[in-house]
This record gives sequence, C-alpha cells and structure tokens, in this order.
Amino acid sequence: MKKTLLTSAISAVIATSAFAEGELNIFNWGNYTNPDLITKFEKEFDVKVTITDFDSNDTALAKIKAGGHGFDIVVPSGTYIPIFVGEGLLMEAKPNEMENFKHMDPQWVDVAFDPGRNYSVPWQWGTVGVTVNTSVYSGDINTAAVIFDPPEELKGKINVVPEMNDVMGLAIHYVGGETCTGDKEILKKVRDPLVKAKKDWLSMDYGNIEKFAKGDLSAGVNWNGASFRTRIENADIAFGYPQTGYPVWMDNAAILSDAKNVDNAKAFLNFIMDPENAALISSFARYANGIVGSDAFMPEDMKTAPEIVVPEELKATANIAETCPPEVSRIYTQIWTELQK
Amino acid sequence: MINQPLMVPEIVTAVALLVFFAAIKVQTGYTGMGYLILAHSAFCIPFAYLPIRARLQGMDLSLEQAAADLYATPVMVFRRVTLPQLWPGILAGAMLAFIISLDDVVITEFVKSAGQDTLPTYMLGQLRRVVTPEVNAISTVLLAVSVVMVIAFFFLSRSRK
Repeated sequence: MKKTLLTSAISAVIATSAFAEGELNIFNWGNYTNPDLITKFEKEFDVKVTITDFDSNDTALAKIKAGGHGFDIVVPSGTYIPIFVGEGLLMEAKPNEMENFKHMDPQWVDVAFDPGRNYSVPWQWGTVGVTVNTSVYSGDINTAAVIFDPPEELKGKINVVPEMNDVMGLAIHYVGGETCTGDKEILKKVRDPLVKAKKDWLSMDYGNIEKFAKGDLSAGVNWNGASFRTRIENADIAFGYPQTGYPVWMDNAAILSDAKNVDNAKAFLNFIMDPENAALISSFARYANGIVGSDAFMPEDMKTAPEIVVPEELKATANIAETCPPEVSRIYTQIWTELQK
Repeated sequence: MINQPLMVPEIVTAVALLVFFAAIKVQTGYTGMGYLILAHSAFCIPFAYLPIRARLQGMDLSLEQAAADLYATPVMVFRRVTLPQLWPGILAGAMLAFIISLDDVVITEFVKSAGQDTLPTYMLGQLRRVVTPEVNAISTVLLAVSVVMVIAFFFLSRSRK
C-alpha cells in the first residue's frame, strides 16, 4: 500500500515536470483566438499552447484571484486591467521594452488603464454603436435615438446587447453625462428613458447575427465586429456611431504574476505585436487591432469597412471605456437590474 | 449530508471547490483532469444515490437471507442476488449522473484548469463573441440522441415483461 502510494506520488511529480516543458497556457474570451495564430506560434517557438475560455471579466478575475490556476496569459478588457494590477495579479512584463513594441499604434500606448504599456499588449479593440437595417429605416443612423427614442418603423424590432457597461455608457452620453459619472441627476435622466424605451425593444440577446440577416431585427445596440459580420450576411445592414458619444473598448493580453512559463509568455506578447500576427488576430473575430502596419496583412473586406475603420467625420465623439469606481458601478448595476426586469 | 449538492446553490459549491482545489494546486503543482473528475463526481453523488436507494428500499431482504442460509458467502450474495436486482437502479443513477455532469456549467467554469473545456463551457465562452451554428447542430444532435434512447428503453422494458 505504502509502495504504491510512493510510486504514484513520484510519478505524479515527474509527470508534472515533464508537462511543463515548452508550454503556454492562454486564458482568453471564448472563440477569440485565431487557431492559425496559435499554430504559427507553436511552430516558431516549439511550444505547446492551450487555450481556455472565459465568458466574462468577472469569472476570469475570480478564477485568477483564487490562485492555482495554471494560466500564463490572460486577456481581460481594458477596464479590468487596473483591477488586476491593483490585486497584484499581473506581472510587469514591460512590453515597452520588447523588440516589436515599435509597431504599436501611438494612440494606444499611453492608455488610462496602462500608461506607457508596462503590463499589457493590445489584443483587439472595438466600438459599441447601433446596427440598423437601412431598408427598414433610412434616416440618420449615427445617433443613439434609434434605440432610446425609436422611430415608428423600428419599434418592436430592436435588440440591445445585455452588456451593462457598454449600454450604460451609450445611455449616459445620450443624456449628456460624462463616462463613469456618479451624478444622481444625470443617472435619473438615464434610468427613466431607458425603462421607457425598453417597451419598444424586442429582446436583449447576444447572438443576433442571423436575426438581423433574416429581418427579425431591424436595429440594435451592437459591437462593430458583430455588425460587420452581419453586413456580410445582409448588405442592407449599416453600423452607426452615435454622435452623442460611443464607447470604445479594448481587450489586452497580459502576463500573470504567478505564470509558470514566463519566457514563452513574453515571447507571445512580442509575437502578437508583430503586424502580420496582429492582422491574424483581427481577421478571426473581425475587430481592429492596435498595431500599425497590420493593414497590409488584413483581409480585403476589413481594410475599408466603416465598422472597422472609423470614418473621419465620426471619430471625434469616441469615449474610451473607463474603470468606474465601485460606488458608481453599484448604482449602474441597480439601474441595469431594474432595466432587465 | 450526501444530498448537500442538491440543496446548496451551485455557485456556492463552485467557489468552494475552486478555493479548495487552488490550495491543493499550490501545494502539489498538479494541474490536470483529476480536479474536474473529482468535482463532477462529488456533485453527482446525490443524483446517483437516490435511484439506487429507492431500488434498495423496494428490494426484498428475505432473498438475501435465503441465499445466506444456503451457504453463500457475503460476496456471492452480493454478486448473485443483490446486484441483479439492483442493476436497473444503478443504471438509472449512472445515466442521471451523466446527464447532470454533461449539463453542468457553473462548477466546471470555476474548477477547470488550463486547456480544459467541457461542451457547456465552450458554448458559454462563445456567447459574447461569435456564436457559430455549431451550437445549433450540437443541440439538435443531443435532442436526437435522447429521443432515440427513450424509444430504445421503451421497447427494451416492454420485452422484459
């Protein structure tokens, strides 16, 4: 009995140490990593890569805080990077000292959540706007009024993606507030129109590409990449950037402070800052990336798509998403809960 | 106590298991399928236990005593008398446990280690980005399989009478 216990313990230890040679464990959003990118990385660096999915920043944070997770790289949203850093969960990997850092788009180097890029590397970024079927509604689509004060022909055929921070951001700017405002007056002005507009909404779902393509939905709050994919199915679909202010989000890859495969992880961060590889990432989920020079490698339809390349005249009103203080988040959650009733 | 996973909210079990396994992982450095298997076994126990218990209660004890009277050892009694009477309950428990395990999202989401994914967590992960028609296909297949199994068991149980 003792002998079997001993041998099994030894073999377990040996097995784990053999396991850890040439490995990289990535913790990313579901269906967000291009398999071609991974194959390319595996071949170039002779590393075995595993990808594990998470469905929300909160799940990722909870799992990593608990410890013993075995991941090396995590790809949270920019708004959560300060939370991760504050908890000491990210390694200061200094991507700004890596070889491919020179390819990073200057506008994404000094971001509020990671000034100077000491922790993270851009994965993809996108915008939140309105998707409209132009054959149903031919008015101005660059406004959030399409959702919050819908015209007749769109009533009853609107979907709002149930992503609290994005929709709240859109709504707050629609009534004239600032990002992450805690002003009770403004928030009252947000809640009442939201609840009123909900009556004209059909659903609050994520997977809506087929519904737009078939015509069950005519308008909705959506991410630009999802809207782009919808336009491929149905050419009448257009993406509007609400001029009162549209949220901009970015997902970033970072190394965890207790990562086991640090060298491979650093090699990976350097790898995705290369323009060709950044283009691979973008071509998969169809969102823009933060690396200059990747345009040359992007798929044709993404180079000129208005969803990916924001038109000049509409650029000004972008609002980079920020991490709201906990009290403010709490109020938003209350409004959101009331909205979902 | 055995039926605790039935009563406690799933998220509580999930976080408790996460913290427990995290402590073990830090100590032993083992990250593998073992945790997932252990976690699934743990919360499937009540589902497997209840049908077996029901079957046991309905079973006739005198048969066992008769077998023992006829010089059968306890092992033989179990193998030749108890088990044949019990196997429908065991089968039902096994299938129920399988279904609950296949269905579970919350606990798996928290307990899974690097590189591990089950079908529900894979589908959940797709939710916020791309939901491919793969998901529809999988659901159809699962539905078809359950219908086929129900029909098969219907005919099987009929012929036993």
